[in-house]
Amino acid sequence: MKTSPIMMLFYVGLGTVFGLVLSRSGAADYNYIQGMFLLEEFQLYGIIGTAVAVTAPGLYLLKRYGKTVTGAPIQFERKPGHRGNVFGGLLFGAGWSITGMCPGPILVNIGEGKLYAIAALAGTLVGAGAFGVLYPKLQGILRLPPLQVGTGEG
Amino acid sequence: MHLILTDAAPIHWAFGGAAISAITLALLYIGNRRLGVSTGFENICSLVVHTSYFTRESLVSSHSWRLPLLTGLLLGGVLSALLAGGWETTWALGMFDAEFGWGNGGKLAWMFGGGLLIGFGTRLAGGCTSGHGIFGMSNLELPSVISTVSFMAAGVVTTNLIYRVIL
Repeated sequence: MKTSPIMMLFYVGLGTVFGLVLSRSGAADYNYIQGMFLLEEFQLYGIIGTAVAVTAPGLYLLKRYGKTVTGAPIQFERKPGHRGNVFGGLLFGAGWSITGMCPGPILVNIGEGKLYAIAALAGTLVGAGAFGVLYPKLQGILRLPPLQVGTGEG
Repeated sequence: MHLILTDAAPIHWAFGGAAISAITLALLYIGNRRLGVSTGFENICSLVVHTSYFTRESLVSSHSWRLPLLTGLLLGGVLSALLAGGWETTWALGMFDAEFGWGNGGKLAWMFGGGLLIGFGTRLAGGCTSGHGIFGMSNLELPSVISTVSFMAAGVVTTNLIYRVIL
């Protein structure tokens, strides 16, 4: 599917709003992330819980309606289940705790001017790059889906 | 508790969650895309790494929406800082500074190490907080529930090890 310049601007705009919300809600704040994992701060549980509680019925209705704003059929892939869900999830959770950032907030923190976040992005890119290069080997060891399916686009 | 960036309280969690939900649904209704940030790191990698994994069609064809979305996330951080009274660089890291007391070099190494786990882990899991935690859970996808339980559990264990056991 080709993306028009107007749609690219839409994605930049939507990302900007997303970044602003992550920045001001505590989702991109080291202390709030540690507070969540220490089970001392409700803020992030409230954010994620509300997001899921509102998105779930919205998504259900949108899928039933079945069309995008242009009338095209709504299409997206469900994520495949595999052993990487657990192993990858455990590694990511440790990384989220160490840095205080999940993927979106890494970029938000760099934008905010937090210099150490650049190192988090560098590590993330090296980690993602290593995963891609090692995929043929990991596929056998962990019985991951074939490349055409992948672990899940997310 | 105040945010490190603004030294002010965050917005209410219900408003933050509702806004993220609106963004998720707008991305699907207007762009016909499923929310997810971590694959965007593969899009960046594929600009310089040309193995079969990084040249696969499903990845290359998503450059034109994932890279703009990632750019927006960065700009959102810039805008947030500007609205808070001016953009400036900082090394402030909240309770890490209070408990570890490390210099800038130590922080860079710590962040790089954590980043390795994020990059490798999210791609192995096939998603992160947005793709699994928000979209996948909202769509009642079992792999997303399993991934979300895994990364939340690992986060709880790691932070408790760091701040309650080691320090």
